[in-house]
Amino acid sequence: MGQVAITLNVNGRNQTTLAEPREILADVLRDRLGLTGTHLGCEHGVCGACTVLLDGEMVRSCLLFAVQAQGSEVTTIEGLEQDGELHPMQKAFSEYHGLQCGFCTPGMILAGVDLLKRNPDPTADEVRDDMGGNICRCTGYQKIVESVLGAAREMNEVTS
Amino acid sequence: MTTTQWIGARAPRREDPALIRGRGRYVADINLPGTLHMAILRSPYGHARINSIDASEARAADGVHMVITPDDIPDHVTEFPVIWRLPGQKDSGTPALAQGKVRYVGEPVAAVVAESRYLAEDALDGIDVDYEPLDAVTDCEAALEEGATVINEDWGDNVAIHHVFAGYNALGVCGYEPEVFDNADEIVRGRLTIGRHSGIPLETRGIVADWDEIHGRLTVHSESQVASLFRTELAASLGLPETAVRVLTPNMGGGFGNKWDRYPEDLLVSIASMELGKPVKWIGDRREGLMATVHGRAQVQEWEMALQSDGTILGLRGKVINDLGAHLHSVGIGPAWVTGAAAPNQYKITNYYCDVIAAATNKTPSSTFRGFGGPEGIFGAERMMDKAAKHLGMDPAELRRMNMIQPDEFPWFNAAGAVYDSGNFPACLDKALEAADYDRLRAEQAELREQGICRGIGIASYIHVSGFGPSPILGYLSYYTGGYEGSTVKVDPNGKATVYTGMIPMGQGTETTLAQVAAHHLGIDMDDVRVVWGDTDQTPYTGFGSAGSRSNVAAVAVIRAIDEIKAKAVRIGAGMLEADAEDLEYADGMVSVKGAEEMRSVSLAQVAQQAYWAHALPEGDQPFLEATYVYDPPNFTTASGCHLVVLDVDINTGKITFRNYVVVDDCGPVINPLLVEGQIHGGVAQALGGALLEEFVYDEDGQLLTTSFMDYLLPSFTDVPEMEIHHVVTPSPHTDGGFKGMGEAGTFPPGAAVANAVSDALSHLGVEADELPITPSRLWGLIQEATG
Repeated sequence: MGQVAITLNVNGRNQTTLAEPREILADVLRDRLGLTGTHLGCEHGVCGACTVLLDGEMVRSCLLFAVQAQGSEVTTIEGLEQDGELHPMQKAFSEYHGLQCGFCTPGMILAGVDLLKRNPDPTADEVRDDMGGNICRCTGYQKIVESVLGAAREMNEVTS
Repeated sequence: MTTTQWIGARAPRREDPALIRGRGRYVADINLPGTLHMAILRSPYGHARINSIDASEARAADGVHMVITPDDIPDHVTEFPVIWRLPGQKDSGTPALAQGKVRYVGEPVAAVVAESRYLAEDALDGIDVDYEPLDAVTDCEAALEEGATVINEDWGDNVAIHHVFAGYNALGVCGYEPEVFDNADEIVRGRLTIGRHSGIPLETRGIVADWDEIHGRLTVHSESQVASLFRTELAASLGLPETAVRVLTPNMGGGFGNKWDRYPEDLLVSIASMELGKPVKWIGDRREGLMATVHGRAQVQEWEMALQSDGTILGLRGKVINDLGAHLHSVGIGPAWVTGAAAPNQYKITNYYCDVIAAATNKTPSSTFRGFGGPEGIFGAERMMDKAAKHLGMDPAELRRMNMIQPDEFPWFNAAGAVYDSGNFPACLDKALEAADYDRLRAEQAELREQGICRGIGIASYIHVSGFGPSPILGYLSYYTGGYEGSTVKVDPNGKATVYTGMIPMGQGTETTLAQVAAHHLGIDMDDVRVVWGDTDQTPYTGFGSAGSRSNVAAVAVIRAIDEIKAKAVRIGAGMLEADAEDLEYADGMVSVKGAEEMRSVSLAQVAQQAYWAHALPEGDQPFLEATYVYDPPNFTTASGCHLVVLDVDINTGKITFRNYVVVDDCGPVINPLLVEGQIHGGVAQALGGALLEEFVYDEDGQLLTTSFMDYLLPSFTDVPEMEIHHVVTPSPHTDGGFKGMGEAGTFPPGAAVANAVSDALSHLGVEADELPITPSRLWGLIQEATG
């Protein structure tokens, strides 16, 4: 099958790669660009492990063909750390034990980042409602909720 | 607290820095140069004869390097064995591909190896299989009836085993006396069903095999939870010497028991890599994860409890039918056996009988899943306790308390032969009642009922016989592996330590836990301990690696190896301090003269340097400062606890809303409270999935109807309640540190606690929630039945 050139701005860097039009964004990120932090848990849009930010919006990279992202900005888990400084959400997940096996974690962290952009000071119930599209099989969610609330506190302290 | 008191500390996990950056490395992330990709053609039928397979089109397809049909499997390759082979159990194993007929939807029929996963999946369309559909057996009770279609012809029927628990009476205190049931004041009966569900790790199974023809070595990148045993079995099935196989296990995206088993794909990628001389990779998709990774739990249980009118239990007898699936998988009927052994639970039940029958059905094999039959046994015991309480008009907490084994009655030999080492069951119950404010809850419940709100309170107590296990007992149970864990600890010339473990981390924080234990016992900083795991070329052999055996078996191996190192450090230190070894002690990373007014001591680093220079070692001591200890536990450890759930049932919709969830857990002393809480939360959530949502549904032809996450429902953020955790600490009397297993315990009581709460909420309607999962539609149906 013929390949096409796809240019993406991934984590702040323009990258061009050849891929088949049928290749999903997650596969291109993982296999063509070597960004294996984006995980595939179901490949049908339910589990949220493959969550990335596309032009700032949360998307499931298993439900998009890479060609659909042509010219877009993509932020993956690898792009959250800035100048060697972890994102507060990353720190909070570790501090509050919001992860165990780590497989859902990249998608979970990005979903948390996306939530706080829209709602900087959520309640526990709001976190549960908003992040309901991401599945974790290890933690029972409680410590993920604590992580997101902890990150919100941290980020609000910095900005206030 | 000094910096060396690591046991009990909420130490941050050392696994996290990579995982939160997306820099974990899972099997799917391993891309070796020249890797080819495998896709599997799976049976679309529950039961069918394979008349012929024509793969010619696939073999000629773009990018295809190899197609494997049953005819392409080398003659010397054998199926994976069942390692738990109870007397009387039928013979079966796990073949690489279906042999002549398919027995479940998802059974591998052929495999394609191509240049990409996309091309491999394309080429599956070029394999033409002529199937002749056969009658499918999908009901485990119907499977046992005379004249039922036989799934495995060489068995003669569908009974994989009929095992009877009766009269195990190691101390002569237990047995089976049927006349007690004839003469009892009260008999309470129950028929219970547990739906077929499974661990469903978010990371599907996958494997990379890399054959090195020059050195004759097969390196396998796998997520086996028990890499050593996997190496043994893979080598044997491939006809290779075990020295030719190396198993590497990178990060695992959850295992939950499902990845403990050996699978057909393990053989297929190995066969392909050895044939093609290239790395071959298979990463299952979710559909495969649901249809071709072992299932679990599916049982029908029938129980009879005999009681005195005052509530004293006189006996329990019953039948457990395990919906086994198409064939015996790696652990045979092990989980169903454990159900029979666990059902006496926390109670002084000395008169016990249980028929355990495993029935073959045209479904995915059921096998290892977190809890391993224990949660099923607790479901039976604890539903029956509530039924009995209701029958007698007693409070369910009171009935439990009066029948509990008391703290001074350990060791307790349960009626099925399990030995409970320790516990304080009434304390766990009382703590749960106190935390939930039980008396107030009961008063509120009555008021709410008058307002039309159906609030239910459900209690479930449990035992978790953990830390498998004493190897001689595994032998006695015909479980063909050892139950020990080994650890090598090496102190470098600079005084820093490396711990080698055969344990395979699945996400629990094993590396952190073992580093804590080692740092604590060596009296050094946690950062000065490295833990090596996941490479069978480096790490000690482990035969089990499961059943809550990290803290109570693997950690003890670390402690005992360190004891040997400390003893040697004292001997070397004696020379350095010009003192008698008897006058010295090891503490906080120093060898010191006991009780000396002026501190006379040498550090571990100074001792280590001497051990490597070896200029003046004590007589009989070799250079280096390292030790290996293989710990085979003398007994199981008995973790226990009590869950109390409060929920409301909407009788118009069958919807359940949690109001409170209290966990009281006794896993002995806690190594890392943060990790223990995480394990409990996750275990409860997983069990709530099986209690309320998750079920593999088959139609009458054996077609699996739940092959995506839109049909097979996992609990999400809004399905799992906030939990409140309390601890009772009863150390195990026979493990160093007193630790007990805890990774599975969270899964034991939720099914019963929820079913008890739902039944309690609807007691005025006479609804009994006896079938899991209690989905809204199933519950709505029960309510409709009850209200006419």
